[in-house]
Amino acid sequence: MSYHVSSSPHVRSPLSTGHVMYDVILALMPATLFGVRMFGVHALLVVLMSVASAVTTEYVFDYIAGRENTLYDGSAVLTGLLLALCIPASVPLYVPYIGSVFAIAVVKGLFGGLGKNFMNPALGGRVFLLLSFGGAMTRYAIDGATSATPLANLESGAAVNVVQMFTGHAGGVLGCSTFALLLGGLYLWVIDAISWRIPVSVLLSFSVFVALFSGGMSLPELCAHLTGGGIVMAAFFMATDPVTSPVTAPGQLLYGWLIGLLSAFFRVFGSSADSVSYAVILANVATPLIDELVIPRPFAYRNNAVEAVPDAGGESKSALRRAAAPLCVLAVSVALLCGVAGVTAGVIEKRRLAEHLAAYRVLLPNAVDFSLPEAANQAAPGFDTSAYGNIVIQEAAAGADAVGAAAGQVVAVRTSDGRDGPITLSVAFLPDGTLNGILYSELNETPGIGMKVGEDAFTGQFAGIPAQTLTLGDGIDAASGATISSAAVVNAVNAAIAFHDAYGGAMN
Amino acid sequence: MTGRTFRGGVHPDDGKAYSRDAAPVAYEPTGELVFPLSQHIGKPAKPVVKPGDAVLVGQLIAEQDGYVSANIHSSASGTVKAIEKRRTLMGNLGECVVIESDGKFNAVEGMGKKTEWRNLGREKILAKIREAGVVGMGGASFPTAVKLEPKDPGAIRYVIANGAECEPFITCDDQLMRTRAGEIVKGLKIMLSLFPNAEGVVLIEDNKPEAIKAMTEAAAMEKKIRVRAAPTKYPQGGEKSIIKVVAGRDTKMSQLPAEAGCIVDNVSTVCAIYEAVCLNTPLIRRAVTVTGPAVKTPGNFIVRVGTAFSELLEAAGGVADGAEIRKAIAGGAMMGIALADLGAPIQKASNALTLFAEDEVEKAQEKLTPCIRCGRCNEVCPMGLTPQMMGAAAERKDYYKYEHRLYGLECVSCGSCTYVCPAKRPLMQLFKDAKGAILAARNAAKQGGGAAK
Repeated sequence: MSYHVSSSPHVRSPLSTGHVMYDVILALMPATLFGVRMFGVHALLVVLMSVASAVTTEYVFDYIAGRENTLYDGSAVLTGLLLALCIPASVPLYVPYIGSVFAIAVVKGLFGGLGKNFMNPALGGRVFLLLSFGGAMTRYAIDGATSATPLANLESGAAVNVVQMFTGHAGGVLGCSTFALLLGGLYLWVIDAISWRIPVSVLLSFSVFVALFSGGMSLPELCAHLTGGGIVMAAFFMATDPVTSPVTAPGQLLYGWLIGLLSAFFRVFGSSADSVSYAVILANVATPLIDELVIPRPFAYRNNAVEAVPDAGGESKSALRRAAAPLCVLAVSVALLCGVAGVTAGVIEKRRLAEHLAAYRVLLPNAVDFSLPEAANQAAPGFDTSAYGNIVIQEAAAGADAVGAAAGQVVAVRTSDGRDGPITLSVAFLPDGTLNGILYSELNETPGIGMKVGEDAFTGQFAGIPAQTLTLGDGIDAASGATISSAAVVNAVNAAIAFHDAYGGAMN
Repeated sequence: MTGRTFRGGVHPDDGKAYSRDAAPVAYEPTGELVFPLSQHIGKPAKPVVKPGDAVLVGQLIAEQDGYVSANIHSSASGTVKAIEKRRTLMGNLGECVVIESDGKFNAVEGMGKKTEWRNLGREKILAKIREAGVVGMGGASFPTAVKLEPKDPGAIRYVIANGAECEPFITCDDQLMRTRAGEIVKGLKIMLSLFPNAEGVVLIEDNKPEAIKAMTEAAAMEKKIRVRAAPTKYPQGGEKSIIKVVAGRDTKMSQLPAEAGCIVDNVSTVCAIYEAVCLNTPLIRRAVTVTGPAVKTPGNFIVRVGTAFSELLEAAGGVADGAEIRKAIAGGAMMGIALADLGAPIQKASNALTLFAEDEVEKAQEKLTPCIRCGRCNEVCPMGLTPQMMGAAAERKDYYKYEHRLYGLECVSCGSCTYVCPAKRPLMQLFKDAKGAILAARNAAKQGGGAAK
């Protein structure tokens, strides 16, 4: 009898690919449980459907492709779970089903299965769903009531509750609890399943660039950006997917930096709220290139090593020199992107104007042409409205009549002091210094109570009076039974008047 | 104090409990002993006996052929039975001198006679080490006399006695240090006498407190010798790792330790140097650990070179009750050589026979998956290589990239990457294939070039 003969080493660590996957699944449990508690049974169904779909797709794909069954490696379960955690909990069940089929069959299976896919299957699935089911994928609901995501609020300049965003109570996707995700991420780091390099470089680079691109940022704002929009999910669970991230230490830092840069860029300049998914996928695509660029030299070939015999004629170009050309390409592309952003800024502004135009036309029937005066609009977000409550001036538009004469101005203002939620309204000013009415673009007050501020009896009072600070009860009557909401609206109008006083002159 | 360590490395189960406290027992073989002519790095030795010759213990039976080569002595008295090809532990057939022992172990005249080394001088010491056929006994089996003759002996700062014994399961160096500390210190002093500017360092992993204590006591009066404990981490005992820890320098594959100001020898080798110089005894015996779950009474043995592994296993009580050997390893679990059977003889560098009833490699095959690029192999590589990329390049047979972009020939074959791989990729096997192919191509090019001229 002869013994089994094989190459050394003859002992192997107990760790297997399955273990690696199940560790990540375990790390995702806090976020999953929080999501289910927060969004209810339907969330659980979404998770189960997504996982079941991923697993069956893998099984069927293996069978059809004549591959060995690979379910035991746990990667399909993980993909299904990750996908479920980054879609809204309220989606119809066919959405996670289709998403997982796409993630496993197209993103992973068609490219050769585990270890061969070039982008993160779960993120691929998510983006596919975003493009296919834009409505369901962006409708976020808590307790059945639809609401804007914290990030959308952040973008529109409204106040957000960072603490709620951190715990996950502010809503969002199924895995919305930043705290739970951090807990899982930390667990992975503690057990040495992921290195610190990718999460830290992603978060650091994102923070730096989002502040840089926004032209400065307060700490609470930065925290809001960090807790919203899935950057933590991406940093710890998506970007760290080993298959689609670089294997070398310097490569991982570069990759994390790239994700942070792209996420911040898309978040600040892009129109989609979904900056992170695209950033990670683009970095996934760049991974093979990054790996080639930054192959580390053995210790003995680095600094302080003993100098001796020159190389046997191998390639001795330093990593930096090899990286130079592609880095130039990268720099040029970023410059181009910035250029395009500059050119398209005007277009984007026109589009935004068009969306609001209908409302402005109603308020200023004489005006045929509207413009967004630059100075006033730049000053608007930072305009001090603290005297009137939690209010942001969103936009200022100037109208001109058929012959080009000034036909009045509109100031859009958003207050967070409504009884049941934020209220956004436009306030019209005529050239003669009187108000010409208000129009809501967002009003979520409770029907029968706060909603009464929407009735003509209340709004009618804001037309034909001088544009001077108004007082509730003195010329303006509160809508009956809606005192809080009425006060909020009057304060908002007063803020608009104050803004108009300051910048109205510069608007025509 | 454990001090700094090298980068990377792994922590496999050290398995030392099987035999760590078993004091070495001398085992005397019966019947025939087999001496491969190539049991060192360099050219095989040339036999100086012929079949039918009577030989004594310590008698030269094959002499070194060229500078990098080593003498081989008989470890038994008896008759030369044959000079023929036999299966060695490398698995191939190698030319061997076969000696039928008469069971008396009569030694040649002068063997064991004490000599005061201080009166000898540099040249005589080196000559005695060379004549005794001392080679590196930690596994590499590089001729020791060659190692002790660097171009500039004055540039050597550290003479390191390697007692790390980082290989799992093996305990022979541990026991040697516990029982023969004084001789090791003397051996180290002999080595230090060759290098005027060097200090002696005995480096021991901190999982061997008794050995550290014994060596510290033995070296207490020696100003130029320091005993250092190092954190238990594989491959602490690797030559490059130990140089990194002691001298703080990384060395390339093309660099000898001397270029980093170091001479590194295993404690067994240091002991053999003492025996060669002071006791006029060639390298004919060594400490060997017989261990593993499949061994009935694991232990440490002082064994005559040439003894068959199968005989040594019998000395350790044979196979454990109810167990069946599934894997036999000459050496340790991380770098040892798998044996198809136990017929091969023990060589100068054979430090252990490790026997498993279950082969983890076989079991790992069931969990084989494609590489998930987790990068754990890169993290543990003590040389700072990228085994993940090397594996991929070797699989594609992209040997240019393997050699020039990934520095694949800098691999020290420690196997840490393969140990840690969750996907159970056979990285070491791929690297061995790649290195073999690259060196074969190099030799072919050299020979082709020579023929053209």
